[in-house]
Amino acid sequence: MDDRTPCPAPTGGPSTPRVLGRRAFLEDVLLLSGGAVVFLAGATAAAPAAAAEGAASAPPAAEGYQPWEHRWAYLVDPERCIGCGSCVRACSAENHVPDGFFRTWVERYVTGMDGTSVDSPNGGKDGFPALQVAFVATKSFFVPKMCNHCRETPCIQVCPVGASYRTPDGVVLVDGERCIGCAYCVQACPFGSRFLSPETHTAEKCTWCYHRITRGLRPACVEVCPTGARAFGDLRREGDPVRHAIEHDRVAVLQPHLRTEPQCFYLHLDGEVR
Amino acid sequence: MEHARHVFRAALVVLVLLAGVGITRGFLVPPTYGLHGPYRWANVAEQMSARTPAHRGPAACGTCHEDELRRRAAGAHRAVSCEICHGPLLAHVAADGRVTAPQVDRSPALCARCHRKVLGRPAAFPQVVLEEHVDGPLDAGACLACHDPHAPTP
Repeated sequence: MDDRTPCPAPTGGPSTPRVLGRRAFLEDVLLLSGGAVVFLAGATAAAPAAAAEGAASAPPAAEGYQPWEHRWAYLVDPERCIGCGSCVRACSAENHVPDGFFRTWVERYVTGMDGTSVDSPNGGKDGFPALQVAFVATKSFFVPKMCNHCRETPCIQVCPVGASYRTPDGVVLVDGERCIGCAYCVQACPFGSRFLSPETHTAEKCTWCYHRITRGLRPACVEVCPTGARAFGDLRREGDPVRHAIEHDRVAVLQPHLRTEPQCFYLHLDGEVR
Repeated sequence: MEHARHVFRAALVVLVLLAGVGITRGFLVPPTYGLHGPYRWANVAEQMSARTPAHRGPAACGTCHEDELRRRAAGAHRAVSCEICHGPLLAHVAADGRVTAPQVDRSPALCARCHRKVLGRPAAFPQVVLEEHVDGPLDAGACLACHDPHAPTP
């Protein structure tokens, strides 16, 4: 290998490109790859440290959490909802939901003999304004909505990369690292609970605040609801009030004809609600 | 033997292809994929620690603000979380312990979100028609002049 032609010395002028010999090239490659390895090793070593820093004052992490010991369910009582939108604001603050998108939202139904009006200004985030309808309204109520965390999910079925999945404790989640942003799931969801985040360009939706419930806290929307219209419980726990209500009260789910088996139950749901 | 060489060659090509597929798959498929179903199991732990819980509930506020908590517990707002009006605790006390002033909204708009009379609210819930209820301009503090937000009396 000693019969190689020597490289011409670089002249340093901007117009003449530097000619790279084989040896110089190999040295560069080694240096670069070595640098990359060091950089990546540093990044992976620093990541847990950063994570530990943020959890300094957090409630105990979900170390001992066993998903198989729980089966979460959500209970909404529309008769108690006053449409204040506290839940929507809390969700947005808790999960950094992009403006104009909602992981949970509140709808207002106004019905009479001659018509029905449904509105949800900004998802109910700023509360509800006074409303004039063109028919004689006989009843009106608010309906909080979110992902129903179905047992037979349309969204998981259509995901081509296995990014949407259901955990052993019955929560439907999206793996942001696997999601390719094809939005099949957004179209498949009959409840309109998914959206593509304009920031990450991946599918997002309500997670029932998985980072909270695995630490023993309630979802943010349940935590702030002033009237108890939202409740969250564990179907595997004896004496759980939500489990008791689902077992003994009149509950319904949204769009039961689709057979998606939602795990978000509504007490005394009006037939008008879709 | 002449023919056997062809067979070996073909077998070698197939083996190389299989090895290529195997190695490529090893790089592309995450290590925890398929442990408990067709998804990346490691993501469940990632979701658990995705972010620090921002809302901590009134009891957490009570560690510093005992008086307000006690006043609230005795009044009509006993079920109203502090964080509805004052924002999440994490925005007031950061994870590293730094304290910034919490939200204090004195405008009637805050009270109106729950107590303004609009279609949809349950009839038994206390509601007012603001324009009839308040005699005068609806500027900041108009409601607080008569009502204590921590323990309101009708």
